[in-house]
Amino acid sequence: MVDQTRREFLKLGLAAAASAAMASGIEIPMFGSQNSSIQTQLNSANTKIANLNARVNTVVGFLSLSVAEQSLLEKIVETIIPTDTDPGAKEAGVIYFIDRALAGDYGQSANMFMDGPHILPRIPASTTTPLSVNPTLSWATNPYIPGASTSPISYIGGSVVTPGSGTQGITATPRVGSGINYQYPLNMREFWRIGLDALQKYAKDPNGAYKGPFESLSATSQLTLLQDLWGDKPTSFNNIRPSDFAYELTFMTWAGFLMDPIYGGNQNMVGWTYTGFNGVNFGNFYGEGKDQKALMVATTPTRLKPASLAQYQQQASGSA
Amino acid sequence: MPTTITETPADVVILGVGYMSGVIAAELSDPLLNNGKAYNVVAITKGPYWDYVNDFSTTKYDEWGVGLGRKYDSPLPLQSTTIRNTPYQFALPVRRYTMPIQYHALGHGVGGAAQHYGGTMGRQGPWGYQMLSQTNTRYPGTIDTINPHNDLQDWPLQYYQYEPYYVQWENAHGLCGNYNGSTDNPGSDSSGYPWMSQNYRLPPHPLTPAAQLFQSTVQSAPFNYHPFPHVNALASQPYVNQYGVPVNPCVYDGYCGGLCDYACETGAKANAAYRTIPAAMKNGNFTLVVNSFIFRLDTDPTSGLVTAARYYDPQGNVHIQQGKVFFNGMWGYNMIRIMLLSGVGAPYVWKSDPTMVSGTVGRGMTNGYSPYKGTNVSGTLSNIGGNAYPAGNAGGGSVDIYDLMDDNFDHKNLGFIGGSQIGVGGYPGGGPGNITFAGGVSSASMGGTFKATQKDKYLQTKTVLSSTPFAPDLPTTDNYVDLDPHYTDIYGDPLARLTYDWTPNMYVGATYLANKVKDIFTAMGASNVTVSNTVLPGAVHNDWWGHHLRGGCRIGTDPTWSVWDKWNQCWSPTVKTPFNIFGAGEITNTSGDTVPSGTHVAGPQSYRAAEGIKQYLGLMTPGLVP
Repeated sequence: MVDQTRREFLKLGLAAAASAAMASGIEIPMFGSQNSSIQTQLNSANTKIANLNARVNTVVGFLSLSVAEQSLLEKIVETIIPTDTDPGAKEAGVIYFIDRALAGDYGQSANMFMDGPHILPRIPASTTTPLSVNPTLSWATNPYIPGASTSPISYIGGSVVTPGSGTQGITATPRVGSGINYQYPLNMREFWRIGLDALQKYAKDPNGAYKGPFESLSATSQLTLLQDLWGDKPTSFNNIRPSDFAYELTFMTWAGFLMDPIYGGNQNMVGWTYTGFNGVNFGNFYGEGKDQKALMVATTPTRLKPASLAQYQQQASGSA
Repeated sequence: MPTTITETPADVVILGVGYMSGVIAAELSDPLLNNGKAYNVVAITKGPYWDYVNDFSTTKYDEWGVGLGRKYDSPLPLQSTTIRNTPYQFALPVRRYTMPIQYHALGHGVGGAAQHYGGTMGRQGPWGYQMLSQTNTRYPGTIDTINPHNDLQDWPLQYYQYEPYYVQWENAHGLCGNYNGSTDNPGSDSSGYPWMSQNYRLPPHPLTPAAQLFQSTVQSAPFNYHPFPHVNALASQPYVNQYGVPVNPCVYDGYCGGLCDYACETGAKANAAYRTIPAAMKNGNFTLVVNSFIFRLDTDPTSGLVTAARYYDPQGNVHIQQGKVFFNGMWGYNMIRIMLLSGVGAPYVWKSDPTMVSGTVGRGMTNGYSPYKGTNVSGTLSNIGGNAYPAGNAGGGSVDIYDLMDDNFDHKNLGFIGGSQIGVGGYPGGGPGNITFAGGVSSASMGGTFKATQKDKYLQTKTVLSSTPFAPDLPTTDNYVDLDPHYTDIYGDPLARLTYDWTPNMYVGATYLANKVKDIFTAMGASNVTVSNTVLPGAVHNDWWGHHLRGGCRIGTDPTWSVWDKWNQCWSPTVKTPFNIFGAGEITNTSGDTVPSGTHVAGPQSYRAAEGIKQYLGLMTPGLVP
């Protein structure tokens, strides 16, 4: 019964997504580059609509990504892990992994420390103004705390990033992937929404290098654009650091390719088959009769058909 | 409506339930170990009890949830830590567990941080206990040059005095290894490996081909080193410890290293939850309080003694647990933080002039891990391949040497002291992300070219050797822990703030040691042996320093710089001294060798502290155990 209801819900959701996709598919070219011919734009729109229709007909629906985000992110992940003679991000369903992550704890920053004050590490190092911060008053009057104060506290080193300096600097290699450097007052879902929007704006910038929606660019240009983000080339990126967003895009794409299929990506374990990873097959999951201890000290590799967490749990409960 | 609840007073109150607390619980709750006295022991931890059968056995094969989502780890929304490099900076809070990895405040629940460690064990040799006096004797006048603003101190006891406690510790946790030296004559061993009165309880795990090649290479000329199988705390055979607690062996099914966060579903990996807490449980006078957050210690204003621990239960009620003696077994910064929050001990006060600093709690923090992107040596063995991930065992399969650590080689004019334990050939025990994401992603991690490098990555036809040796971090007056003036935990109490940067000894040693390892790799027949990422002092700042701490709450020979004395008993400040609190953990070490975790050095201290607490309970008036 629950399943039935859920299916109905998904069907409804997909219908809504499909109609929105139609509108979106027509709209995008209207705001696209003036240099593109109308015919190209129409072709692009038609392709987009066909792709979206195909998706509606075949897959599982989205929980978080908007239609515009879906089409953009799909192209981004396919740029990061392209499909060649082997499956890539597309076949692995990386976009569904990211969509579900954004809809869940990851997107809600459920396991992050999100209290203020939010102070962003300042780059470049030339802005060396001392930082003055009012103490959080929640504990300032606590008699247990030595040195509790209500006066502003000044830091002459500030939060300036000074690569190579032994006297100042938060870190020489800022990256959002490190625990200290995500300092945005945004949960991850907001971070992605703002980042994707900024990326698309950068692609479309009529004075920029690309002058068109990311989806319309050549594969080479798409990769170059993502490299621009890593190199912090965009000067305006909705107040987030482009390389921070690039880190998150790249990391989550690979995670969607390699993590257990239970999270929506790595569909049919294509990521594990590609990389030769065995999942929970420790040598005898399918009755191969291999010994785990012997495999550990072997001098040549043995290819094992991967098995997933769901398969493991099924087997474990079946034998219980 | 939250209310205040006064609990029945106990004899012994244990703060936090990790490795060290488990020893105290087992030793103090057993009447047979206390002249027939049945002490009431209460242990309080902020996290749950992880039952390996139900919590790990069918869910641990989940790199996303366990390793990256860190679902068994201390929740950051509850409390975080702030970090900066220098006392002049604003400290930023750790907002999330780093993708791929941020070893920050790992401990949560019974077993604490040991739920998430690789099981590396072994012993710290005699040099590690007397680094200052040994250096001053052998290389007089050099330490202040090697370590500016030096705050290095000797331990209050020497290695031979800790040796009996190592034996108890190793018996309790069932360590695997094979001591190759003499067990009957402390003076006969030339390997540098500390003398042992008893061999490890269990045999080592099977060695990988790379480990065997390393072993045969380094024990031959020109090296003539003394290799031994990696010592770890993952049972290689069924075992029963001295408390009668049975232990299952490792089943080598992996997902237990790196990003899979080391959760062990058979209990083969030692930690308090499966070795010492079960022993305490069966005594009947031990109470385990889980999901309860200790936020303050009450003190007697006249004597300075600790009278009670206050904690929140999950409903927000405040519980007051009175006790005669307290054991601070909290993880890392939390051990310091609870004392600073409660006014227990003398808080460390930093000054730019190293002669003007004062206090002890938070002082002398060092890091047992390599500088991020430290000097690295790599090479390739083209004749040894295998499944990069056929199974796994967090820390097993490798061979180590001690010949390049401590003062086991001449340091004259080298500009650093100590060295590194060098190990080769462990099993890769993580999941796919463990290998692909190690070190994070970069601009190079995109596109078809990079994708091609990932094809059949786990079916290796060759072995890439890699080593990041470094010399130990040394305490300075500039690296410390205090309370952050801006950020608070979920209950409104200030977070611990770390002020830390890597020290020159680590870098200078790394360059020297890397070239030694290069020679070994070359002799093993590896190709493309290169030393890369050579880093200079002060050149690297990063946030990856939250773990493997040494110091910050040290034992020592003088209460003006150490929190705890030779019994791990509090003796600072010297006026209104809270004599009835003891503590042991990684951060009660005073620096030491460079085995990544300080657990193996803290372990014997927990047995020492247990003995101290037993004696304290027999004193007529509160004071230092003689």
